[in-house]
Amino acid sequence: MPSELPYAADAEESLSFDELQVLRLQYEKEISQSHVTVQTTFNYAWGLVKSPMKDHQVEGVRLLGELYRNEPTRRRECLYYLGLGHYKLGNYEQARRFNNLLLDKEPTNLQAQSLASLIDKKVTQEGYIGMAIAGGAAALGTLVLAAIIRRAHK
Amino acid sequence: MTPRMVNAATISGKPRQVAGSSSSLSRSRVDFATLGRAPMRLGIGTRRITSRDLQIVEASEELLEAEIPEPEGVAQDVSLIRGFNATIPSADKGRSRRRQTRNVDAPRMGLKKLGMSARGLMVDEEEHEGESVASEEDVVMVGRPEPRGRNLRPKKKGRQSLSAGKVIGTDELKRQTHEIKRDKENLHVRKSLIEGEIKEISHKIQTLDNLRAKLQEDLLKLQEDELELDDELEGVKERLDIEESRSRPPKARTQQPHVAQSSRRRKGPAFLPSEHDELPPGVAFMSLTGHNGPITALDFSEPYGTLVTASQEEFAPKVWDLLSGEEIGRLKGHRSTVKCIQVEDHVCLTGGEDGSVRLWDLRRVDEDEDWDKESEIVSLSEIAEEEEVDEFGGRTKAKTNGSIRQGESEAGSVSEKEGPCVRVLEGHSKAVTALYFEDDCLVTGASDKTMRQWDLTTGQCVMTMDILWAISHPPTAGPGLFPGAAAAAGTFAVPTPPYADGTWDMYQDFVGAVQFWGYALMSGSGDGAVRMWDMRTGQPHRTLFGHTGPVTSLQFDELHAVTGSLDKSIRIWDLRTGGIFETLKYDHAVTGLQFDTRKVVAAAGENGLKVYNRTSMQHSTLITNGHTRPVQKLRYMDKYMVSGGRDSIVKVWAL
Repeated sequence: MPSELPYAADAEESLSFDELQVLRLQYEKEISQSHVTVQTTFNYAWGLVKSPMKDHQVEGVRLLGELYRNEPTRRRECLYYLGLGHYKLGNYEQARRFNNLLLDKEPTNLQAQSLASLIDKKVTQEGYIGMAIAGGAAALGTLVLAAIIRRAHK
Repeated sequence: MTPRMVNAATISGKPRQVAGSSSSLSRSRVDFATLGRAPMRLGIGTRRITSRDLQIVEASEELLEAEIPEPEGVAQDVSLIRGFNATIPSADKGRSRRRQTRNVDAPRMGLKKLGMSARGLMVDEEEHEGESVASEEDVVMVGRPEPRGRNLRPKKKGRQSLSAGKVIGTDELKRQTHEIKRDKENLHVRKSLIEGEIKEISHKIQTLDNLRAKLQEDLLKLQEDELELDDELEGVKERLDIEESRSRPPKARTQQPHVAQSSRRRKGPAFLPSEHDELPPGVAFMSLTGHNGPITALDFSEPYGTLVTASQEEFAPKVWDLLSGEEIGRLKGHRSTVKCIQVEDHVCLTGGEDGSVRLWDLRRVDEDEDWDKESEIVSLSEIAEEEEVDEFGGRTKAKTNGSIRQGESEAGSVSEKEGPCVRVLEGHSKAVTALYFEDDCLVTGASDKTMRQWDLTTGQCVMTMDILWAISHPPTAGPGLFPGAAAAAGTFAVPTPPYADGTWDMYQDFVGAVQFWGYALMSGSGDGAVRMWDMRTGQPHRTLFGHTGPVTSLQFDELHAVTGSLDKSIRIWDLRTGGIFETLKYDHAVTGLQFDTRKVVAAAGENGLKVYNRTSMQHSTLITNGHTRPVQKLRYMDKYMVSGGRDSIVKVWAL
């Protein structure tokens, strides 16, 4: 049965501070009662991941990881969310691995496919930047070398 | 440039470590990609890599290894994101917005003030007009056909309903229907989430309940063990006293500790051969056959010692050696069935239907080679056992039970008894159905509805207690007894309820059981009453009512008395209050019982022996290799039990 998942764009929209606060309070209340439900944890984690702040995203991904570990029935969905979370953080390696696990199970899942393409795009982007830097570094390096050799010749 | 390159190199090194060996990416792309990330890390993002970051990356390694089962149950019905959308606070926004659209423009009535004052609260401030609205976009302007001027018109045309003047608009209404549908779906989602939670919690509670039940069982077990240890401690203390006194040379009489505890009251563990532990518990490992009729009475001196059993058909009880399981002799003398037996070491007392009580020395059974010899019956008046008096004080030996035997081996002149029978006590006119002796004191109960106390050294009857008199002159007015009691005046005969095999007897033993301790005597009689007598005065001072049938067996200790009767029940009485502590119901009449702090073992008219565990309140039955017809009598010491049944077989059990 295909999982119902949000597109990656949904992760870019963040909740308002108040809403996030409500989710945080709900989560903390359940912790104090020592019975945390899956839904509350997910709500809070997802709210954190959607937020633009890196710290929140990291915390969100951590909570999603715990959810993954504790609830075997929810793991398939969590694969997607973990992939999305790592994608936002910039850990493309991890993101790709999680997403690929999901695609193994559900090759026809649209959201997973779209996330895969997004990750690839980002990775190539960074690759270009990296190549540019490397190229620039190489260019500078040859210039310096040329300068030294010229000096040596003189 | 150089520092930047160095930095780029180090940073690219770290992510490479962390990423490990990737599966699908080529190495060059990884390098470039990580290099490309460098400017972001250095310049654009001022945030340092925290431990959290590394944590999640490391954790993800572990997570990727985990299995991913198929989703089922709640996970299948409600995906996480749906649950999210259903439970976030903004889910409720639609409803409040819709309510606002239904807000009717009504003249200000100061409702809040009214409400607050009705609740008894002070209304401090004047309110400002208009309620706050969640957000601008949700405010919908509704058309107002009536101008505000309507309020100024003084003449009232009669009130129209509040909703008459409002027109909301079809678009808005359509939007509202969609919203309501969505809200309903959200509600449904939330309901299923909660149901899933409830199921999970119920499951947890169930597991915890099971755990608790197990722990309670363990607790009961430990309590039982504690009781056993208490008994053992008492036994050990006694033994200590005995051995101490043995080591000391015999001194004046006054200093002697009471070394001879009746085997019925001894609580500590008995001395058993080590092989006994290897026996499986609850199994009858020895059967003694030889009797012809149902066993009527039995008792033994100690585990693997000497057993004396009597049956309906034979008038001479048989003596067995429990180590070998062989019959070593018979006690000839009675002219009728023997109804009750007690054995202490090598002293045996039997009471028979002929009304006589005989005292036997079991050591002399082997001497009696010629079983056909008739033993003489010496009547009370001829006995003048003065020489026994000097032996009276000789109690320094362990496990002595009075000096009766010593007197016999020395005397020889007056008491011309042959064979094991040492003495005959005559006095009762009808069958002696119950007896109990300790040291030199014997109490017997008979069908002539009296009880007699005897001194075993002299053989004299010291006192006679008339139960009939006690019935007609009760010390305190008690509740009525069962109808059979009225017949107590005449011959007492009550049919027993049928046993498990369908047979039944006419029960004619008026006194079912007696036991005493010091001066306190307790008797169970055919009128169903349990009486407590003071042996110094011979008067009953208390009667315990409760049984509705004749009492057949009785035993008491410091705290409780346990009585069994033909009314198919066993009652445990609290001796301090005189009230019933517990009642155990059985399917057939109870003919024999014995109890200790941890259990009550009963012969309840069935082939198996019923054991009741007092700490865990559980019943169990001993039936392995057991009797083939209902059990009649039983006796146990520590882990060794002997039982006799209507199948004429005596079985020995390991408990």
